[in-house]
Amino acid sequence: MASELSSPAAPPRATPVRGGEPQVIHPPKRRLRGWLYVLPALAVYLGFAIWPAINTVRLSLLSWDGILPATFVGIENYIKIFRDSALFEAILHSLVLIVFFSFIPIAAGLLMTALLMGKVRKGMTFFRVVFFLPQVLPLVAVGITWRWLYSDTGVINQILDVVGLGSFGRAWLGDYQLALTALGLIGTWSMSGLCMMLFLTGAQKIDPSLYEAAKLDGANTFRQFLHVTLPGVRKEITVAGVITTIAALASFDLVFVTTNGGPAGQTNVPGLLVYRLAFNEGDIGGASALAVVLTVIVMTVVGGIRYFTRDRD
Amino acid sequence: MHMTTPPRRHALVALGVTAALALTACAGTGGTSAPAPVKQADVSTTIPSDPVTLTLAYSNDPPTQLLIDGFKKKHPNVTVKPQMTPFNDYIKSIKLAMSGDAAPDIAQYNPGAMNTLVPAGLILDLNPWAKAYGWTGKFPPSTLEILSSDKTAKQFGTGGLYAVPGGLSVVGVYYNKTMVKEAPKSLPEFEAALQKVKDSGGNPLSLGALQVGGFHLWNALLNVTGDVADYRGWVYGKPGSTIETDAARKATETLTNWAKKGYFPEGASATADPDALANFAKGRSAFLVTGNWGATALEKDLGKDVGFFLMPTPSGEPAKVASGASVAYAISAKSKHPNVAAAFLDYLSSPEAAKIEFDGGFMPVDTKAEVGGEGLRGEIATVFGPVAQANGIVPFPDYASPGMIDKLTPGIQALIGGKMTTDAFLKSLQESWDGHHGK
Repeated sequence: MASELSSPAAPPRATPVRGGEPQVIHPPKRRLRGWLYVLPALAVYLGFAIWPAINTVRLSLLSWDGILPATFVGIENYIKIFRDSALFEAILHSLVLIVFFSFIPIAAGLLMTALLMGKVRKGMTFFRVVFFLPQVLPLVAVGITWRWLYSDTGVINQILDVVGLGSFGRAWLGDYQLALTALGLIGTWSMSGLCMMLFLTGAQKIDPSLYEAAKLDGANTFRQFLHVTLPGVRKEITVAGVITTIAALASFDLVFVTTNGGPAGQTNVPGLLVYRLAFNEGDIGGASALAVVLTVIVMTVVGGIRYFTRDRD
Repeated sequence: MHMTTPPRRHALVALGVTAALALTACAGTGGTSAPAPVKQADVSTTIPSDPVTLTLAYSNDPPTQLLIDGFKKKHPNVTVKPQMTPFNDYIKSIKLAMSGDAAPDIAQYNPGAMNTLVPAGLILDLNPWAKAYGWTGKFPPSTLEILSSDKTAKQFGTGGLYAVPGGLSVVGVYYNKTMVKEAPKSLPEFEAALQKVKDSGGNPLSLGALQVGGFHLWNALLNVTGDVADYRGWVYGKPGSTIETDAARKATETLTNWAKKGYFPEGASATADPDALANFAKGRSAFLVTGNWGATALEKDLGKDVGFFLMPTPSGEPAKVASGASVAYAISAKSKHPNVAAAFLDYLSSPEAAKIEFDGGFMPVDTKAEVGGEGLRGEIATVFGPVAQANGIVPFPDYASPGMIDKLTPGIQALIGGKMTTDAFLKSLQESWDGHHGK
């Protein structure tokens, strides 16, 4: 490895390969043409992803209300937000949400994959549509619907009443202890289908002969799942983990429409605090600083996931 | 491993681009320079007769479009082009729109979200026109106070006038006449009525504490528990003001007490204002505290079974104070026709406009105008008139500082849930106030 890294990369050889035409070094012109193809996508990416990101970092060092001339204040915005205990609570809440947005959906997705793989021949499309539906619906509509389901006279309490558990009924999203869990379960509902779709797709790539071999070796269904399916969808699990974790840490829309951080801040998440700083308080600098901190947290956690699930081969 | 070099080179290119972007970025965000103020001599109440086109940016409709139509009838040579934006997007984009070169001539004004336009010099001080037209006699004075502020836009009720209202609102108590025979005359009577509903197994009061309903109730109680001047001074940002007063303590304790006694539904903290309104409209509760904006919907569902009264005073004297807000309009400092725009604002206080405002679901600016209101909205107009004429409209508490709403809503939820003491709640509000206005 080390010698390979230090040695300069082999230049493309101009010698005939396999006796065919001589392979030539691409002249600079052709290189430029290559960039031309990339340009439209690159421009959009730079303009709408990279540029705003850099701008946010810059704004986080300013004191700016959005209108009056901005003044440079260095890291003052960062000091201010770290002094506020609300931030730590919000981060803690979003870490709890990872359990509901990421862990449980991945487990549920794997379970559904195990149940559906190789057994359901007809109606697979039906299952896919049903489980993937939450991903297609806008989260704002989902949020309002769940707010009604969870209300004190909502469907969930009605069901509890019917099965004789009426005494457990409550206004779930208004409950001090259970609001965050109730909110998290909406995430579970929304993310499980996505995970299942990813895993099913991954599992279909697995060579059927592996299952046959496992069967011949006397492996039961559970063993087959553990030793064939699971390793086969490892990459998909990583992808699902990354997507759902980002959804949990950067959650905003769902929380905004269901609880708006309530009751009394029990479901505050960092995204909500960013919104409030920017649009309620007009503190663009503080909001940007918080957004930068949130980005760092997301990148750290995602980096961690990628590191621990990396290919060791 | 021979693939290592190209990605590295790409990374270098990317880094270069990034650096270039970062450097050019410093050129942006320079802020906005204020345009030169209108010369006082230019102020006139007569408008030219040649064609003039104005643009008007707004989010509340009704009444805006109808008012535009009404103005057109009076001044056929003036065309007002409406630009409607839904409220949430309006609040985010209007500041940028007003600082741009193609700023609208007239913009719906929100003192909380848009007050940075004042120090930036982007909206006109309307005092010269107020003098020329005599607006202090035409608009209820208390409604102009929250639209006036000093140059830094931190203290209201003083300095320049930056907008005038084109429709007023008022918060009070709705009651279901099939459950409550008669509107209570005093606060103890009101509490007795709540208890009676509770005892009969019903829901006393619908409350949307997820959004603004919770602190609107608190505000309504505060209006009758203490001196209104203290509260007004606090919202206006008068130096040295505090909300940690006996009156505020009393109002807060009343609200906590009601929660303890079970007068609010269990899920109040997770109930949005429209849902609270819908519950009351379906007859699921006896009372609802909200503004006149709910009247049209309630009348449709409940017909003659719904009534309205202002939060009653402890002694039973008629209430002289109520919380309210307005749909207000400001004039851009970049407008080429400020006199024509001012004529539109003046039209808002006319009896013709009063009818339009009332029919659009608002209380009229001209409180003495004959609007021919019947039923529920007529009932509201009847109790609103004397309060407005006696200078009794007070602003909502979320105007006191930009972050106040994020203390009020969670604070009320914590009070209802029994997780916060009265003093801690008032202290959290005062901290937000001190942070904005300084001690």
